[in-house]
Order: sequence, then C-alpha cells, then structure tokens
Amino acid sequence: MANRTNRTPIGAIALLAALLLPALLRPDVPALAFDQSKYPDLKGQWLRVGSPRWDDDHAPLTPEYQAIYQANLKDMATGGQGIDPTYTCLSPGMPRIMNVYDPMEVVVTPKTTHILIQHIHDGRRIFTDGRDWPKDEDPTFAGYSIGKWIDNKSDGHFDLLEVETRNLKGPRVYDSTGLPFHEDNETVIKERIYLDKADKNVLHDDITVTDHALTRPFTANKKYSRAPEAQPVWLEAQCADGNHHVQIGKENYYVSETGYLMPVKKDQAPPDLRFFKNK
Amino acid sequence: MLYRNAIGAASLALVLCVPFASARAFDDSKYPDFNGQWRRPPGIANQFDISKPQGPAQQVPLTPEYQKIFEAGLADQKAGGQGNDPTYICIPDGMPRVMNVIFPMEIIVTPNTTYMLIEYLTQQRRIYTDGRDWPKDFEPSFTGYSIGKWTEPDATGRFQTLEIETRLLKGPRTYDPSGAPLHPDNQSVVTERIYLDKANPNLLHDDITTVDHALTRPWTVNKRYVRVPNPIWVESSCPEGNPHVRIDGQNYMMSADGHLMPAKKGQTPPDLRYFNQPQK
Repeated sequence: MANRTNRTPIGAIALLAALLLPALLRPDVPALAFDQSKYPDLKGQWLRVGSPRWDDDHAPLTPEYQAIYQANLKDMATGGQGIDPTYTCLSPGMPRIMNVYDPMEVVVTPKTTHILIQHIHDGRRIFTDGRDWPKDEDPTFAGYSIGKWIDNKSDGHFDLLEVETRNLKGPRVYDSTGLPFHEDNETVIKERIYLDKADKNVLHDDITVTDHALTRPFTANKKYSRAPEAQPVWLEAQCADGNHHVQIGKENYYVSETGYLMPVKKDQAPPDLRFFKNK
Repeated sequence: MLYRNAIGAASLALVLCVPFASARAFDDSKYPDFNGQWRRPPGIANQFDISKPQGPAQQVPLTPEYQKIFEAGLADQKAGGQGNDPTYICIPDGMPRVMNVIFPMEIIVTPNTTYMLIEYLTQQRRIYTDGRDWPKDFEPSFTGYSIGKWTEPDATGRFQTLEIETRLLKGPRTYDPSGAPLHPDNQSVVTERIYLDKANPNLLHDDITTVDHALTRPWTVNKRYVRVPNPIWVESSCPEGNPHVRIDGQNYMMSADGHLMPAKKGQTPPDLRYFNQPQK
C-alpha cells in the first residue's frame, strides 16, 4: 500500500507531463520564441504630455551656436523659418522625433523595438539583438539606435530600455524654436525608457544629448500618457499633403489657397526667373 | 490519501507548466514567418502588375472616361510634366500602390495588428486582426483602413494566409508612376491575400484585387517579394533634394543652384502678383 501511495503521484506527474510536454516541445511550436511577459507593457497609443518643446531650461549652447540660435529667432520674428528645416517636410530626426508631434506606438519584438510616429518621417528601429555599430551605413535623420533591456529588480522582467543613438545626419534642431545641433552631426543620444512606477499609463524617456554645439550634456525628461481607448484612432499625417511652404533657393515662400506664390516676409523679393523665356 | 496525492501531483505539474502558459501570451508559432526585409524581385521596377511592363502595357481595365484621363497624363509626361502622378511632390503612394514596395518593407505580426512598414514616404500600414468592424467616423487616408483575418490553417494549426480588406481611402492615387488613375470618389475597395510561397518560404505573395469606379471590372494582380537576409534599412526622405515644386497647379523644377526653372518647353513662370519688390 505504501508503495502504491508513492507510485501514484509520480505516475500522475508522468501522465500529465506525457500529455503536456509533446505540445510544448513540438519543433513546429516555438511558443517560447517571444515571451512577452518578460517585457513591460508598452502597448497602446502614447500622447505627449505638454507642448512639443524640447525642454523649459535654457540649452547649454556654446557661444557660437547661441549666436546661430539668436539669429534664427530674429529671422522667425520677421516671418522666416529660421533654421528649422521641417517646414519643407524634412524629418525632425533624433532626438526631436521624441517630442512626439503625433501619437506614438511602441511595438516590442524580440530583436527590435519599433517606435511608430506618423508625423513626418519619425519611425525608429531600436535594435536589441546585441549587434554592434555598423561600419558603413549612411547616416540618417533618425540615426542608428542600439538598445538593451534591463531587469533592474532581477525578477525576470525587464523594466528599462536603454538606447544609444549615433550615425545621425542633419540639419536637425531640438524643436520649432530652432535650437540647433552642431553641423558635424556627431551627436550621441542616450535614452532611458521606462514606465512610471506609480502609474503604468505614463511612459518616461530620459534623453541625454551630447553634441559639439553644447558646453555639457543636455538632459530632458519626456513624458507620454497612454490613451485610454482600447482601439485608438491612428490618423494619417502627411506633411506634403497641403503644405503651403515652398523653398526656392535659400528662400522660403508661401503658396496661397488660390495657388499664387506669396512672400513670407515684408518686402521679400520674388524668385529669380532667369530660366523662363515666356515671362 | 491516494486521491490527495494525485491532486497534489496534478497541482505540481500545473505549477510547473504555468510559466509555459504565460509564455504563450503571443504564440507566434500560429502565424507564418513574415519576419525580415522584403524587396521587389530583381528586375521589377515600380509597375503595379509585375508581370507586365510599366505604362500602357499594364492594360489596366479602365473605363473609357478614365482611359482618356490616363492617356492625357501620359501625353503630359511626354511633354515634361508629371501627368496624373501626384507623388512627385512627396504625396504618398497610398493603397494599393504602396504595395509596389519602392523601398524595402518590414512586416511585424502581433496578436491584434500586423504592421507593414515601408520606408518610402513614411507609409505605415496597420492591419487590424482583432476582429473589429469598420469604424463609423474615420477620416480617410492614403493607406486607408485595413481589417485582416488569418486563414487557411495547415495540419499543425498554423495560419498560412492573411486576408485583408482596405477601405476609407483618400486621393489622389494612381497605380504607378505612369499615372493610371483611381477614381476621385475614393470608394476603392482593395482586398489582398498574403502568403508565403509553398516551395520557397523566402518568397512572399500578395494577390491584390482592386474594385474601383474607374475600372470596368475588378483588377487582380499577383505581387511577389523576396526576403533579404541581414538587411540594412536605408532612410528615404522624399523632400530632401526633391527638385520638383508645385505652384498654382503647375510643376516647376529647381536648378542645382537654386533657381526656379520651367519643367516644360515654353512654360510660363508663376504669377508674382503678391510681390512688390523687383526680381532678384
């Protein structure tokens, strides 16, 4: 009887294991390929908190770039676009992308975390597959981003995504005020992306920028709130569709609703029409 | 005693299996492997029906009215214009032209949504596979609203095909750069069947059927894409260096040194009535 008692649980375990293991170990069922439960829940639609400005603090610009910034503000005050390149639908690039002009979706996959933002050209791939920096890739506005998931509490669940972004191109500014980056585009951006401990519907992105136009690294904490809708509406934003700004040479002009070219500044000269015979 | 031991054993076995159960939150083994970078097959340009050359040879089944519009667009292109093709000023392709996949495409399958990311003109498609119905108050878009359904499970239960229907489109849209037009009422309905080739899992098919009021009948094409190992994702920013400028409905060109130029022989310059300063 004692022997039977001992054998029965072992038999039951063996029976259950025999029933379950084939399903778990089938080569065509790689169910463990992506264990979502290890990652923070970043699903849904994220909306920026506050205005799409970079930071309220003054940027620690070098004197040279402070002068460039001031000249840009002066141009904007007279109707120009300063040095903000996005009016012709150029991508804002990193880190301005993370101002999140249009709602953001974060799609976590085993090897890549995708940041999807409709705005102009704000999509990002953050590679988390352990790769090294590429040697011969063209620089881009969004740059090349390598990320690493961190398990701070050692509980088997990642709670932080650390990202480093390099290999950028320009022109780029921090926001629509025209706060500039150095034209050498050697910017390095480090991010710490994590859910708020007290409110899982708040996402943080601590962004530290190192750039030769700065006297020291410049850090901003961006916050995003999760939209409550189960099926959020993703609107299409196409900058070129209905954009009234036209750049001819180095000048910005405006095309009126009725289609006519207009000055954007008082007494602005019209474009040079030397190539037209039928004037 | 026997009974209790059996329950205990069963409980233990279930506890042991719980981690596996949670790991199955997204059982990607149920879906075909669409991961990676997909490109047009070698030798295929920007045409919609990849079995035929671009232009009139596509033999789009246009109504007589839209055939005339198409031909007028071709004549304009021959004269240096852009014809019916709206994308020269960076207006996105929209559906179904986006599936010409000018720049490489990435497909990401998740339980509720399949994403198609195509670098060209920031074309992000979301295909909702969560069983939702058509929205009631959705603003039309170039890529439209896409609802999908996974079908045709094989013997192991793995889905083989993603069936998609796309509605709620806006225009202007054409099938390719030759400017074969879709109807401006934008009531196009695009259905797709996306599946891996049975003989070659690195070949993806998309059977696209377009129903549109500019067509005499539904038009079906089979598009194919090849998977690229170790992909590089290149950024494509249409406005960067785009020499085309549209003013008052006319296409002009920008010279390398920044001067406005005619795009057609004898083209008149833009009306400068709003300027009170002499030309530079």
